[in-house]
Amino acid sequence: MSYTVELIRNGISNTIPVRPEQTVLAAAEDVDRSLPFGCRTGACGTCTGRVLAGELEHRRPPRALKTKHLDAGYVLLCIAEPRADSRVTVGKDVVAELVENPWK
Amino acid sequence: MSDAESPTDMSSADHEDHDHHVGPGYATPQAAIEQAEPEKLAYVMGLYVGTDVDAPDFVAVVDVDPGSDTYQEVINRIAMPNEGDELHHFGWNACSSSCHAEGLERSHLVVPGQRSSRIHIIDATDRREPEIEKVIEPERVFEHDLSAPHTVHCVPGGNIVISMLGDADGDLPGGFLELGEDFEIKGRWEADSGEMQMNYDYWYQPRHNVMISSEWAAPKTYYPGFDLEDVENGDYGQRLHVWDWENRSHEETLDLGEEGQIPLEVRFLHSPESTHGYVGAALSSNIFYFSNEGGNWHAEKAIDFEAEEHPDWDMPVPALPTDILVSMDDRYLYGSNWLHGEVWMYDISDPANPRKADSISLGGFFGECQSLGDRELTGGPQMLQLSLDGERLYWTSSLFSSWDNQFFPEMSEEGSVMLKADIDPRNGTLTLDEDFLVDFGEMPEGPARAHEIRWPGGDCTSDVWR
Repeated sequence: MSYTVELIRNGISNTIPVRPEQTVLAAAEDVDRSLPFGCRTGACGTCTGRVLAGELEHRRPPRALKTKHLDAGYVLLCIAEPRADSRVTVGKDVVAELVENPWK
Repeated sequence: MSDAESPTDMSSADHEDHDHHVGPGYATPQAAIEQAEPEKLAYVMGLYVGTDVDAPDFVAVVDVDPGSDTYQEVINRIAMPNEGDELHHFGWNACSSSCHAEGLERSHLVVPGQRSSRIHIIDATDRREPEIEKVIEPERVFEHDLSAPHTVHCVPGGNIVISMLGDADGDLPGGFLELGEDFEIKGRWEADSGEMQMNYDYWYQPRHNVMISSEWAAPKTYYPGFDLEDVENGDYGQRLHVWDWENRSHEETLDLGEEGQIPLEVRFLHSPESTHGYVGAALSSNIFYFSNEGGNWHAEKAIDFEAEEHPDWDMPVPALPTDILVSMDDRYLYGSNWLHGEVWMYDISDPANPRKADSISLGGFFGECQSLGDRELTGGPQMLQLSLDGERLYWTSSLFSSWDNQFFPEMSEEGSVMLKADIDPRNGTLTLDEDFLVDFGEMPEGPARAHEIRWPGGDCTSDVWR
């Protein structure tokens, strides 16, 4: 079985099937849908998405995200598996929300 | 004749008539100045991480020969096999530290992915048409509980040592990965890492049996971007680590204190006799001088850049000196203040007391010059490279994708620039070459960032002498 995960990047939406034991990034690569990524271990945050609906679970500790990010619904798609049909926004602008210019 | 040319073109007699060495590089720093021809090509890290361009990062071959029809153009791009690497720093398989090692050639570039932990070995025997020869996949690196490769130095005899900023999870501690002459992983370089947790850059000075390494942070801390909360929690570095080079053991920690936060590039003077060096503490915006006196290593603040008020910012803006380098003749220290927008030149003929010689104000948040022609100078001056003869200084404008997006978000849409200044070393002056601009915003796949620069024939930020 698979869940459907809708990925919204720069306003463009793609819905892909993701098996429960599969990461969203791996599933996207299976169907040739590009998602940004870096370390693939949950350390770098390049693949950060924000969950709008549904549920995803990290298969290893999401080290790039602080508690405040997890509480706000951010998720690392390189290590996240679906637990329900989900909608996620993704892209460099979502990553940029994790930090702000601290002096400004 | 220098090893800027393809090594296979070089007969051993070219070196023997002058200095009787048989390996790559130059017998002394002065020999490098005398024998190197002016640079004609530059290798520059080009990258797409943190943009909306889904393309792999690349090694750019840039034409820097003023007599060429393709001057200031990216004449070749060697695309990596995967996306998401974040190419950052890189190095040669052999340099002047192996100049007595017969049979070794400066032939291969070792190009790590800072985010991916993937290590690319590029055969650059053909200086204009380098080719990927081998790829060390991240899983092979993680087996040694290391990640986030940064500084690549070759060591005498053909091995390569890479500073690694994290463990396999992107957490602390980091360490050092050693590759053999065959580019296979040998294992961890260090025998005893003592109290070292954080890692970043390192430089070794073999005649004094010393290596000094610096500290950024755990990859999980700096990868997503800069968070002041992490500084308050002590998650960013402020120490130097002194190592016994032969025994590969951590000997001593030099805590630079609050004024030494985020010590990045470590540069010893090039003379193999020298025990003087510098490290730029980026966040505190100070340059520290270190030296050995009477057998003891110590470090002290030598240059202090004041934060400046900006109408759009709540707090004074730090200068953020993110890169420094020492000229091959050990007379000048150059640096870049990424946030302020300044390239500077200090006289270091009295190493403990650097004296400002000149500077250029451009880019960043305060630079007087914000465009060249109709090109806005996105970002600030960042990675530097100096010609071996000390007469031309080049730099690029990207620091790190996530940090670029935080401070100069327009760079992800417009790409980086590579710029140049002309130097008069006799008179200590630095003059922007307003006719020089390599625009990484104009790449076929889309606007790219540009980071570290190296010359085919060795350079001021990697060659070491025994």
